[in-house]
Amino acid sequence: MALLSFLDRERSVAHPGYSRWLVPPAALAIHLCIGQVYAFSVFKIPLTQLLGITKSAPGDWSQSQLAWIFSLAIVMLGLSAATFGKWLEGAGPRKAMFASATCFALGFFISYFGVIWHQLWLIYLGYGVVGGTGLGLGYISPVSTLIKWFPDRPGLATGMAIMGFGGGAMIGSPLAIKLMAYFRNADDVGVAKTFLVMGVLYFALMMFGVFTIRVPREGWKPENWTAPVKDQKLITTHNVDVNTAFGTPQFWLLWVVLCTNVTAGIGILEQASPMIQELFKGAIGPVAAGGFVGLLSLFNMAGRFFWASTSDFIGRKPTYFIFFSLGSVLYYLLPKTGADHLNSVVLFVTISVVLLSMYGGGFATIPAYLRDLFGTHHVSAIHGRLLTAWSVAGVLGPVLVNYMREYQIAHGADKASAYQTVLHLMACLLVIGFVANILVRPVDQKYWMTEAKSQSREGAIK
Amino acid sequence: MIEDVKKSSAGLILLAWLVVGIPLGWGVYNTLLNSMNLFQAAPAGAAAPAVPPK
Repeated sequence: MALLSFLDRERSVAHPGYSRWLVPPAALAIHLCIGQVYAFSVFKIPLTQLLGITKSAPGDWSQSQLAWIFSLAIVMLGLSAATFGKWLEGAGPRKAMFASATCFALGFFISYFGVIWHQLWLIYLGYGVVGGTGLGLGYISPVSTLIKWFPDRPGLATGMAIMGFGGGAMIGSPLAIKLMAYFRNADDVGVAKTFLVMGVLYFALMMFGVFTIRVPREGWKPENWTAPVKDQKLITTHNVDVNTAFGTPQFWLLWVVLCTNVTAGIGILEQASPMIQELFKGAIGPVAAGGFVGLLSLFNMAGRFFWASTSDFIGRKPTYFIFFSLGSVLYYLLPKTGADHLNSVVLFVTISVVLLSMYGGGFATIPAYLRDLFGTHHVSAIHGRLLTAWSVAGVLGPVLVNYMREYQIAHGADKASAYQTVLHLMACLLVIGFVANILVRPVDQKYWMTEAKSQSREGAIK
Repeated sequence: MIEDVKKSSAGLILLAWLVVGIPLGWGVYNTLLNSMNLFQAAPAGAAAPAVPPK
């Protein structure tokens, strides 16, 4: 396996003079690719017409069967991030990014065979399990490296990378649509070849990340930068082992913070298109609603960069304080903008995009929050375990929204007013997140790694 | 002993950002085009027609 020795951590240590500004593009290359998962819905209709070509035929897969592909991928994202986080810390980002690229591309290739042989289990296995494993590995692989390169601006650095995950769907969706249109003919909907091409393209872009990523040399720090001497209570200079961190109240408080923020955001994302159409019946049609969904994606992405960067100046806890306090007020007000109250599309859209920016910001600011509380040594591994909150929110959000709405409608509420209860529930969830964030205190020193253990860990990455 | 410092060139940094910036820019452009549909349907400042009270 000498051929793959270039993946070793030792081989990825930056030479003197290596610019740290080459590292964010490497991380972005990974996140822009794996963010494609949020565009998977563009394959849903074509995959239901593999036999019928122009419409679903007997034997074609149903939408509900296909929904499991995305769910499996997101569950595997959380599981693989939690499982492989500690391995990543030792193996280094290059090896982890290579593994991520291989799994993600392999997921597309296995799914190619699933389509041409019309075997759904192969797509579950390919895109769902194997590709989903690549998602988790890729999501956390550049985090601790970026934080080490940007000790002066950790929020900015991780915000740039995680912004890429938000942007991935913006590339993946039009790319898949254009490729399917190109490969489509009278006998083929074009999905199989699209999977093949996307697998190759994404692998190539991820390899750019693999070859470009570097870890800083031991003792490296930015020019003219010295670590702040002023004691900041919530920013530690110590490190906490991933297994120890898992048992601290801080970890679980941040787990609640992430879970509530994501669940509430999904509350809008899940219902964005029907919600705007039903709240403004007659004024907003399906095409305009599609534009609204696009706008939400843009603010979701921009919020990742904006809020994570802002947190470097105002602090992580105050940033989440804004998310939860402003967010709960805005969720409460949102249904009041509808046609039967204030009747303002502009206000509805403005509030929604602010909420979505804070949803994205919640994802992007959490790695820097973890670094502040637990140090840099195992931050990727701890982040990986925290992402299980995302997996839970991914199930909890849609279930809460759909169940509550259906319950309301079944009990006589009209479609527009049913949203009010759902959105008020989201406001309550944010209050829970608010309390969890307020309770975050510095990690007790009994949890810190000993100096000797910290040093031996440093020694491994010389 | 003086350490041999080989600084990364500005061109290389620019190239690296272009590799990720071009696809991201293309995605943002497509999304912006799509978003325009909202503004064409509901011009800024305009309120939706009121729904008659039920």
